[in-house]
Amino acid sequence: MVDASRHPKVDVRTYTEVERVEGFVGNFKAQLREKARFVFEDRCNGCGDCAEVCPIEVPNYFELNIAPRKAIDVAMSQSVPLVYNIDMDSCIECYQCVEACGELDAIDFSMDDKLVWEDIGAIVIATGFNHFDPSAMSEYGYGRFPNVITAMEMERLNNSAGPTGGNLIRPSDGKNPESIAIINCVGSRDKRFNPSCSNFCCMYAIKNAVLLKQAYPDMDLSVYYIDIRTPSKGYEEFYDRARKLGIRFIQGRPGLITEDPETQNVYVHSEDRDLGRVTEREYDMVMLNQAAIPQPDADTISSVLNITQSPGGWFMEYHPKLRPLDTPTDGIFLAGACQGPKDIPSSVAQGAGAAARAGRVVHSEEWEIEPTVAVVWEDRCISAEGKKCGVCVRACPYGSILYEEGEAPEIVTAKCHGCGGCVAECPHNAITQLHFTDAQILAQIQTLLADKPEEKILAFRCHWCSYGGADLAGVSHFEYSANERGLRVMCSARMDADFIYEAFRLGAGAVLFSGCHPQDCHYITGQRVGAQRAKRMLKQFDRVGMTSGRFRIEWISAAEGDKYARVVNEMQDVLDSIPEEELREEIEKLKPYMEKRARRMREVPQIEEAASFVEKIALVHGTQDPAST
Amino acid sequence: MADQNSQHTSFADQVRAIPGGEHIEDCYACGTCVSTCMIQQKKEPRFNPRRLLRMVMMDMRQEAFESPTTWLCSACDLCYSACPQEIHISSVIGAVKELAVEAGYESPLETVSVDEELCSGCGVCAMACPYEAPRLVEKGTNGNTKRISEVNANACMGCGICVGACPMGAIARPGVSNQDVRAQISLPETNGNPRMAVFVCDWALRVDADVALLESYPENVNIIHIPCTGRIDPEMALQALDTGFDGVLVCGCAVDECHFQRGSFVSSFKIKLLNQVLDQVEMDFGRIRFIKIGTQDRGRIRSEVDDMLEHLAAWKETS
Repeated sequence: MVDASRHPKVDVRTYTEVERVEGFVGNFKAQLREKARFVFEDRCNGCGDCAEVCPIEVPNYFELNIAPRKAIDVAMSQSVPLVYNIDMDSCIECYQCVEACGELDAIDFSMDDKLVWEDIGAIVIATGFNHFDPSAMSEYGYGRFPNVITAMEMERLNNSAGPTGGNLIRPSDGKNPESIAIINCVGSRDKRFNPSCSNFCCMYAIKNAVLLKQAYPDMDLSVYYIDIRTPSKGYEEFYDRARKLGIRFIQGRPGLITEDPETQNVYVHSEDRDLGRVTEREYDMVMLNQAAIPQPDADTISSVLNITQSPGGWFMEYHPKLRPLDTPTDGIFLAGACQGPKDIPSSVAQGAGAAARAGRVVHSEEWEIEPTVAVVWEDRCISAEGKKCGVCVRACPYGSILYEEGEAPEIVTAKCHGCGGCVAECPHNAITQLHFTDAQILAQIQTLLADKPEEKILAFRCHWCSYGGADLAGVSHFEYSANERGLRVMCSARMDADFIYEAFRLGAGAVLFSGCHPQDCHYITGQRVGAQRAKRMLKQFDRVGMTSGRFRIEWISAAEGDKYARVVNEMQDVLDSIPEEELREEIEKLKPYMEKRARRMREVPQIEEAASFVEKIALVHGTQDPAST
Repeated sequence: MADQNSQHTSFADQVRAIPGGEHIEDCYACGTCVSTCMIQQKKEPRFNPRRLLRMVMMDMRQEAFESPTTWLCSACDLCYSACPQEIHISSVIGAVKELAVEAGYESPLETVSVDEELCSGCGVCAMACPYEAPRLVEKGTNGNTKRISEVNANACMGCGICVGACPMGAIARPGVSNQDVRAQISLPETNGNPRMAVFVCDWALRVDADVALLESYPENVNIIHIPCTGRIDPEMALQALDTGFDGVLVCGCAVDECHFQRGSFVSSFKIKLLNQVLDQVEMDFGRIRFIKIGTQDRGRIRSEVDDMLEHLAAWKETS
């Protein structure tokens, strides 16, 4: 940290929050709130005279409230930069600190928060994680039994720079503990709180046990665990070493902790799975290894930066295997535990990787994007004619469409990822997607349904999930109906209602609308846009009397080849169950309806339109500034 | 690929098909259920819910049906509230028990029986039972049909709540009948100290140290063991006072931790009513007291008994 702060090209801003971020990759603008310290950074030399005279003591957040801090103080002695700040919530404004500061004159009580705008090329999020509060688990008595403490509190108590100067004492009576139990998986692997594994606690438990055993060789140390997970290099050897040091590892998650009201010793009740019976063991102290949870302000960060979160609240990576450092928004990268619980080596590796990814943005003259971007056909947009619309804006998962009433929307090409949601949603066909124009897709539909359409199952597959699912069904040799005809678009959001009307107008036997599962969507919320549309259509088709099962919505991931085959086979069964005559009758009966709904689409001069867009996109690219450096 | 038309249903599938038995595969064998369970520690060392779940998963039908775990669980649900996988273990055990009964196995527990002569068919037992074991049936005796209570021996857990509830004294089981409980009451010789009867439920004191502590009190504290405080009859407390005791302390589980689901709640209510009645006839001197001991209240029994003894000593001086 000190090295970074001294580097001529690194600008460290502590005590500063990001309020707003606008723009796109290479051209972000961020509004920062530099919070008032009430101390001038350039004048304070960190001598600490002010803290010495300050009469106010409040719980010290950094020491987990075990020790006090003054109203004017530094967060920790290693703070960078070493500048004191005043906690105005507790300051009584006696001004003794101003006197103590004397000639330096670094304290200014009239300071205010400052809002500044900065140009930024790329953003790396490294906001870390928070700890689960075990007082929610009444069975462990944390908060009621003084000698049940958390891992972080143990860290401070056993730290030579901590409040006790490294003298390990127990909270109830200040006695040096002779026996300590360490309990793993407190709030993690627990469906009541956090169902996932917190990744590093096993090693953390072993580390703390070894540290304690080395400092106090006679100490009785037990680690209670469900499974010990030592998956990285050297970890298993470390676990071996801990066992050789005489640390007891007891397989069995304690269900209860009780306390002797007189001695305040703690009893851990657990099943010892190796003994096959319940044990009740007495300890001087218990340390709870809490789960890692996302930072409490993760939601704020995700809305400020327009990035997504996984179900647990961690920031979502673009792709779990292939792009683990990127977010769905170009130019924003993830480092460390904000993306999911991870230990120090993995965080360092991810940080270095994220920095390299960010460097690539900052040092590029140009930024390549997918060529399948959306382009607006201004002549046809009703908004340009002064009518209210804005449907496209709501469909865009990336906020890449700038829209003002009375004008045609403008698509920020650098932010567009090419899902095609706006294209399909636009009620006037005023937007098209390059390489996936309506004309191209309609031509495919017409070709696929040219021969005996009533026997065919037309399957719309999204590029990232259900296309992969169909592919997997193929390579895994799962047999499915040969009447299936697949058609690839980038996202289920692009599966225009008109395509489905057109397919049924042409007499398709059945149509499958398939895409990613909601949480897997490659385009953040593209699936939702598609799903809403498909559900609406399903209701319409029900109303006009279509046999149920001829139009089907399914979410199939790239790993679900078996599901893809099963769904297609089930659709074939539906078709087989309708007598040929009846099916033909139904198709004929519904034709006028489909004709009416799909007419507008077929009247559009599609091919010429596409050609003129090619010129247009060149223009867009030309006017776009390359990434700032 | 597996044959999808296979007619064979595994043991696990059968258990899953019964409501409550769905989530067996979620168990990752952490042992929390075993460590919270009182049965393994107090009655049956072989009792182990985690292993029963494993037996179900491994298709070990016979072993599961013969396992004490299948029959001894009283569905107190201490394990459920602590289970990190949120498996409703008592429902799973209930499902296994249902299959075991279907297969012809019988509960090894000593259950209550109804004296058909005494039973008036009022149905209080059916309302009191947490396990729906008694139900009213028409039964013919000596040519007359009579509505009486009949107990399903496979559902009865032997808690004795119905025994305490029956107004006719028609239900009993060895060990919890009125005579058996009274047999434990013996008036100690007094040496000036107050004499106190302590009715203690078998499950309220989790740790052995607390049980030993209670036993270590001098003679003037008479300990009476009952399977559940739900077994208590207010009359019993009054009789104890009548015999010469200065006070009665009833010690049960915390209401939401009662080993037999609602025994503690029922009896705490009964004692409260009794105290109200005594208050109305101006005889309530706090001589009957109900205390609830939670699973985490290690050592609390000492302070409660001492407190009561002090109270009684003070009462004796003033009266």
